[in-house]
Amino acid sequence: MVGSITPEQNATAAEACLAAINGRFGGSGIESSIVNHSNDKKYAFVRIVCPPQHWIALAKWMKYDLGVNYCSMVTGTHFPDGSPERGWEVAYHFLRQPIQNQKPNTCTVHDVEKLSGMDIPMEFEVFMPLPQGDSPTVPSIQSIWVGADWNEKETWDLVGIKFEGHVNMHRVLNPNDSPEGFHPLQKQHKLRYHDHNEMYDDPQGFMRKPADEGRIK
Amino acid sequence: MAQMWITMGPQHPMTHGLWTLRVKVDGETVVDTEAELGYIHRGVEKICEARDFTQITPYCDRLCYVSAMTWANSYIYAAEDLLEADVPERAEYIRLISAEIQRLASHLMWLGAFGPDIGNLTLMTWCMRDREMFLDLLQELGGSRMHYNYPRIGGVKRDMPIGFADRVVAKTKLFEKRLDEYEMMLDESTIWLVRLQGVGYATAESMVDAGVSGPNVRAAGVNYDVRWAHPYSVYDEIDWEPSVEKPTSVKGADCYDRYRVRMEEMRQSCRMVLDALNKIPGGKNTNYANGDEMIFTKAPTRAPEGATGFSNYECTRGASQFYVQGGGEGRGKNPYRVSIRSPMFLTIPYVAKTMIGYKIADIPAIMGSFDPCIGETDR
Repeated sequence: MVGSITPEQNATAAEACLAAINGRFGGSGIESSIVNHSNDKKYAFVRIVCPPQHWIALAKWMKYDLGVNYCSMVTGTHFPDGSPERGWEVAYHFLRQPIQNQKPNTCTVHDVEKLSGMDIPMEFEVFMPLPQGDSPTVPSIQSIWVGADWNEKETWDLVGIKFEGHVNMHRVLNPNDSPEGFHPLQKQHKLRYHDHNEMYDDPQGFMRKPADEGRIK
Repeated sequence: MAQMWITMGPQHPMTHGLWTLRVKVDGETVVDTEAELGYIHRGVEKICEARDFTQITPYCDRLCYVSAMTWANSYIYAAEDLLEADVPERAEYIRLISAEIQRLASHLMWLGAFGPDIGNLTLMTWCMRDREMFLDLLQELGGSRMHYNYPRIGGVKRDMPIGFADRVVAKTKLFEKRLDEYEMMLDESTIWLVRLQGVGYATAESMVDAGVSGPNVRAAGVNYDVRWAHPYSVYDEIDWEPSVEKPTSVKGADCYDRYRVRMEEMRQSCRMVLDALNKIPGGKNTNYANGDEMIFTKAPTRAPEGATGFSNYECTRGASQFYVQGGGEGRGKNPYRVSIRSPMFLTIPYVAKTMIGYKIADIPAIMGSFDPCIGETDR
């Protein structure tokens, strides 16, 4: 049995990452903390809140000095009712994975107990609040992680976050001829919830007069 | 010779779903490729914003009909992280068993679709026969054949029926023998080896950089597995090890390695299911009533403002992730934003680029070996 990463290893690695980030970026406006998942295992991960102007420096440092080699997810969120400083938010999720190229006819089977330092897998979450406005913009990390390329395309396509410096940005999930400025996950595009009565009393909809007609639910 | 663009898809046997691969060819050699996605984009993330947390599970089932159980589980773990729900241990075991049975069914579907790509039609009929055994098992749990809506926030919908465990053991043991049969048929078939070996190389580091995960990376010789690295459920309590291949070239894993690693993963899934049935708290032949505290804990339905939940889950094709933000409509009854990360969304553009330099006839082999699924890609 290979075993799994133990909570102690996980906690130690998270603290080491936090110390490294604070040592390098302390006082620059980048805030980092250790957060635990609230499900059973309570595993720890590192959460960083980073202003956009420091993002490229932080991203390069994470990739080349902290060994964060996996950009798994880029999520944009629209907060039209949020505070003036937080009208949008981009959340990045990264993983550190102990992976390297293999020589032919070899494989690496990590013994969990012997893993230490940079080899311990770790999750990173980076939040980037953006001010209210029509054109939320963050610098692109396409050139740092190849995996960020399509993630950023998707986030622009669906949410409308602009990634400055992204080469070959185009629609991926919406049709190519979608109108400019149409990004369906922005909150001004409302989705109605058809409740039970509306759906089943008159399935063909001839007489449909929902109680909340004209109102957005 | 003049170069030209060929459009393969959206309807093409190679694509395993609806997407377009545009290939630039020089004679028979692929010199450039472009992937086009989005043909079956359903806007699941947007729909989820108008549903409450429990209503989202069926949508997650439908992200990928081949592995509905793992996708639903993946969402459930994110929702539990957000809502701070506790899960009874028996429910975790049942989830593990159901997810591994689903992994068997999904890998069989992959192998069954991969065979005809290579010209081995027999494989499809064999795999469909065996997959049906596992779909029957999942049907006993969830009630339907493909979209189960089985896991609940805080547990599972219902307990394993009486006799389920015995049927699982019988079918898993039978399937372990069948796996040997498959290997006898495939590993000694010259056509199979010639079509797969030395085709579609991909190195571990380039795959990780591009966001590829799961069996495709393990085929390149690294035992990284979410179940091992960020253990959720009870994977740290049962007996298993991540399957890993030894690639034969400095260029990384070829199609044959990716085929081998999935065969090995099916063995590991069988091992996990059998071991979990022995260790399940409450006994394998007990049937607790719906909502019993052994299988279900009532979870809060409203998320606190500003809370977030994240799950990293080893789906059948790699790491599937959900990121859920609470505090939406109905005073937090709905999520404010659900973001779904599908392993295949990043893999397909990567695979398109690995085809460069190979022949057109290799495209189905390369694409098929990465196990594409478009339902989860387009969401």
